[in-house]
Formats: sequence, C-alpha cells, structure tokens
Amino acid sequence: MATESVTAPMPGVFYRRPDPEEPPFVEVGDEVTEGEKVGLVGVMKNFHDINAPTDGTIAAINFENEEAVEAGDEVIEIETA
Amino acid sequence: MSDARIERTELPDARYEHGGDDHVFVELDESMSFDANFRAMAITQQIRERDIEGINEIAPANASYMVQFDPDVIRPESVLGELREIAAETDIEEYSWETRIIDVPVLFRDPWTHETLMEFRDRHQTPDSTDLEYSAELNGFDSVEAFIDAFVSAPHMVTMVGFVPGLPWCFQMVPQEDQMEVPKYKQPRTDTPSRTIGFGGAFSVIYPVQGAGGYQMYGRTPIEVLDVDQELPGFEESMVFPNPGDILNYRPVDREEYDAVRERVEAGTYEYDTATAEFEPDEFFESPYEYNERLSEVLYE
Amino acid sequence: MMRILEGGTSTTVQDLGRFGQYHIGMPPSGAMDQFSHRVANALVGNDEDAAALEMTYQGSTIEFTEDAVIALTGAEMPVELDGEPVPMYSAVRVEAGQTLDAEFATEGARTYLAVAGGIDVPEVMGSRSTYTLVGIGGLEGRTLQEGDELPVGDGGADAEAVLGNSVAEERVAGVAPEEGVRVIVGLFDYRLTDESRAELTDAEWTVTPEADRVGYRLEGPELDFVEREQPFGAGTDPSNVVDVGYPIGSIQLPQQPIVVMRDAVTGGGYATVGTVISTDRDVLAQRRTHETVSFEAVTLEEAVEARTARNERLEAIVESLDP
Repeated sequence: MATESVTAPMPGVFYRRPDPEEPPFVEVGDEVTEGEKVGLVGVMKNFHDINAPTDGTIAAINFENEEAVEAGDEVIEIETA
Repeated sequence: MSDARIERTELPDARYEHGGDDHVFVELDESMSFDANFRAMAITQQIRERDIEGINEIAPANASYMVQFDPDVIRPESVLGELREIAAETDIEEYSWETRIIDVPVLFRDPWTHETLMEFRDRHQTPDSTDLEYSAELNGFDSVEAFIDAFVSAPHMVTMVGFVPGLPWCFQMVPQEDQMEVPKYKQPRTDTPSRTIGFGGAFSVIYPVQGAGGYQMYGRTPIEVLDVDQELPGFEESMVFPNPGDILNYRPVDREEYDAVRERVEAGTYEYDTATAEFEPDEFFESPYEYNERLSEVLYE
Repeated sequence: MMRILEGGTSTTVQDLGRFGQYHIGMPPSGAMDQFSHRVANALVGNDEDAAALEMTYQGSTIEFTEDAVIALTGAEMPVELDGEPVPMYSAVRVEAGQTLDAEFATEGARTYLAVAGGIDVPEVMGSRSTYTLVGIGGLEGRTLQEGDELPVGDGGADAEAVLGNSVAEERVAGVAPEEGVRVIVGLFDYRLTDESRAELTDAEWTVTPEADRVGYRLEGPELDFVEREQPFGAGTDPSNVVDVGYPIGSIQLPQQPIVVMRDAVTGGGYATVGTVISTDRDVLAQRRTHETVSFEAVTLEEAVEARTARNERLEAIVESLDP
C-alpha cells in the first residue's frame, strides 16, 4: 500500500462538486481510475480540473468545498493497491 | 405644462487631485447639475483642442473630468497647471452645441429583465416587489404606470459615457425638484441583460453588453449602443453610438414594435431615428418643459 | 505560425495598450506588468510595443510551425521546449516543429512570452491588445484555446544577432517583492473616517480569487465612510459619489477595495481613495490569489522618482542587449 497526493496546481478556491446542486466528484472510500476528475480549482472565474494521478481509493479529502488552497497544497490523498 | 425654471448652479472651487503619477482628476462639484456637466464638457473640449503632447486620455464625467498622460513626456504638475489655465479661460455662458436627439424605443417590464431581477431578489432592497414597483413607491408615485410616465415625459441628456464601452449615463432634463432618485442594488448583480434600461442615483443608463450591474432595471431597448464590428448603420464613425451632449428620448413600445425593431437591427437595416438641433443652455434653463417640447417636435415631425 | 495545443488558465495577446478611447468607456488593456513585457520584447530585438503573450498562472502549450526566437520574462514558470528546460530572461532559438510547454507559475502570476517579429494579429484602434469584455484585439478578442493559430511578424526568421541576449539576474525585479505597493492617497480619501484612512495603509490586504485584469479585488478590514447627507445624484450609500472616471490603479471601495487594472471599468459611482503609482501596478499584477499586499503612501515627488528609477533600470537593460 502506498499513498499518492493530489496537489492544487495553482492558488484558488477548491471545489468538490461540479456545481452547488450536484453531488461531489468523490467521497472518501471511492475507487478512482487514473485521470478521473476528483475536484476543481477556480481562479479568475476559470476552473481547472484536478485529476487522479493514479488508480486507487480516496483515503482523505483535506479541504472543504470552496476552501482556499495554495499551489502545491495536498488536497486529496489516494491509496494505491 | 409646468412653467418651472432650472436655477443656475453656482459651482464651488474645482478640486484638483493627482491619480498616481499619470492621471489628474478634477471634481467640479460633489453634486450633479447641468452646470457642472456642461462645464466638464466645455473644459474637456478645450483640452482636446490644445492637443497637449503627452496627454493620452481626456474623459469628461458627470460633474468631473479626468486626464491620463505619459509622465515621461509631461510632468504631473505641468498637466495640473495647464488644466487650471484652461479652466480659467473657459466660460460656459456662451457655450452651446449641436446636439442629436435620438428616439430610443423601450419595452418596459420586459420578460428578460424581469427574469433577471427575480433571480437577484436577495440583493435588492425589497425582495417582495419589482425594481419598478420599488422605484415608483420611493419617488411618491401611486403606480408603476405613473412612474414610467414621468420617466419618459422628458428626455434624458447623455452626461457621461463609460463603465464599459458605449454605456451612456443620462440625466433627465427637468428641474431638480422633478427629478427622481433611486439607490443602486444593495449588492451588485452578476448578470444584467444587454440593452437593459437601468436607473441609479439620478441617472438612467443603457447597458451595452450582458454583464454585472447594480442599477434598478426597468426595461429593454431593441436598439444597440455598441457595435464593435461597426457594421450597423450609425456606427460608421465609432463603435459607440451615444456621445456626451446627445439627448435620448425614451419611448414606450409594445412587444410587437419591440420585436419588429429588433428584427431590423439584427438584419442590419435599422436606421436610428435622430434629429439635430443647436442646444442653447440658457433657453433650456429658462423654460425646460417648453424647450423639451420643441426638441420632441424636431425629432418626431 | 504558433499553434496553440493547450490554452492555459488565461493567455492573451497584449502590447503596451490602446489609448485615446477612455471617454467612450474603452480601457487601455495591454500588459498588466509593463516592465516585464518591455524586457521580453527587448530580449528578442522587438520594438517595445510589439505584441507578446501574457500567460496567467498556467501557461500555454505551443507548437511552432516555423523557426523563431523567443524570450520569457515575468512570473517564474517552468517551461520546456521538447522536454528541455528553457531559461527565462534569455533569447532562445526555437526550431520549426518544436513544442513549448509551460507549467504552472511557481512565483508571480503573469509570464510574458515575446517572439522576434511580434505576434502579428490585426490592430484594433491602434493596438493589438486583447480586451475580452467586448471581444476586441488579440485573437478574436478572447483568451487563447486549443487549435488557435497565431501569425508571427516579419523579422522573426533573421534574428541571429539577438540569440546571445540575456538579462543578468540582479537587473530583474523580483516578481513578488516584500515591500509595499506605493500609492498616492487622494481623490475621495476625505470620505473615510480617520481610523479607516489610517487602516488603508496599515492593513494587510489579501488578493481574492476574483482578482483579474479588470480589477484586483482585495479582502481585509472593513473601512468606514464619514456619514453625510449625500450630494444630489450620488445615490444613498455613503460609499457612493456622483459617477466619476476611475484612474487605472485607483482603489475604489464598494465595500472591500478593488484596484482598477488595465481592463478597467472606466467609471462609476464608488468613492476612490488613492491610486497605485504607475511603476507599482506592475508589482501588483504579479501578486497571486491569497498573497497579501500592503499599501505605502508616497508623495507625488516620490512617485515621479520611482518612475525615473524604473526608466533608468529599463534603459540599462535595453542598452546591454543587442537590438
């Protein structure tokens, strides 16, 4: 078992859902595949996809929806098999 | 017909301020008046005629004006000196200009601004009424109809263009005691339909493009005030139609006429209904209602 | 030709700006960090007002279909050319068929990419600068996206002379200096209470995620206006004035401050309380979302001196380079 982190590529606001009415992209325990969208970072009204770097299971989501993130912040942790 | 006059406004000493090292801002009065606006227009016209090297932007506003310059070419103190000199030499007593009187058809209570204003009710002073209902009550009118009648009963003069390209700020051409005032939204909206007729402070506006805005929304015009491609008739000289000093005559239309005009605008065949006249401030101040009547005759005959 | 494979967060074509149209509501647009933009052009031997790319936060991926000479300045952004790192502040040869790939900026917000010959999009009202709100200038008046093609101006192919050009590190202004951003307090500052007027320059302000080319929206302590009977036409809120023109760099106060930037709304009815001086707008333009900024009050004389010092620094850089 190993853990890989998903980092915020730029400073902005972290979004766990595509829009306020929709369910979150992922929850802790969800299986994800490499390249799957797991969140968004918004800055200047642009939204940047955050994708899983690997197949695995979501082990932790370290930020709330709409919380401020810095570039390099580890927003999500994925446990790989 | 009222025989009211518009009293001339004695302007205070102008206030000169440096906006960084490359702008000078000049406030002619804290309050809005035709005198302050006409003086801003007259002075900025003089600045333009002097063609001072280094000055890039000359922007008249409602009761103030601003210039932007290249501080590597002309020093800020020199700009300020030039402006004071020009102001001292500018007398608006004999100031008059050729004005355009423009017919602006308006569909009041249109479905588009209505949908938008309902969407942003939580940012408004009165969540339970419309912008028009709120404005009518605030200004002591019994009904929305009576408020609209007052809004269109006298033309509105363009006193400033800006915010975004082509947006005219207009001041209704009546004595101050007959002018209406409304606050802006408590929190600006993130959306306003293009061509919305708005009102805030004592100014009516036409929003050229869809976007943020804070003015009360009353209706929508089918005609454009901005054409960036300059393809529509009337935009040959500039991508912006209204100029300071123009006079807009808002005219209520029904949905059928709105659609018909809009169709012609979109086909590129709509010609603005305009007329020109020499605008004489003295005559206007002396009997504004009668003067407006004459302007209206020039336009519609 | 430069073919865009990935647009990035917000990449636009900018030159020094579009002047003479403020009175119809048209802001100057142009490079947010004018110093870095000028240095980029100087490195590749362009005129100072040649059009270059302004890449914000995440840069673009660009395939060159012809030989070119480029230079990168401004925010630190890891950039690779066919997998090899590209030094910043140097003229670099690019061969036809090579792909330039820009990552996220690691320090600062805006990186400039100049190409010898300039980016040859049509001028609109005397400028190639992009103004997205009404969609003019640059490429179709918008930010770049996948599939776009940018023509490069003549002179790009014969730029052998500039290939040795680079700017020594000590000459390059830090993109995120610790010192304050200098302002001339004024315009409607008298509308603030004494406490709030002091707070403007004492407080640390945080750059919000909305801060963009139109305005830098900041967050910090609440500032209060002196209560008064509002002048006729101003509107009822104490922050309202009879609508005025906003200087570029002016700090307006709807509630929290917004510093008006180069795609400015040109006027409006909120009190402005000071103006960031021309040199330090470049510095502010490199502040990232969530970073802080504090304002330092200076006199007009100090602002003029800062401008002179900047001009001398720029001149020294330009003179050290081959044209």
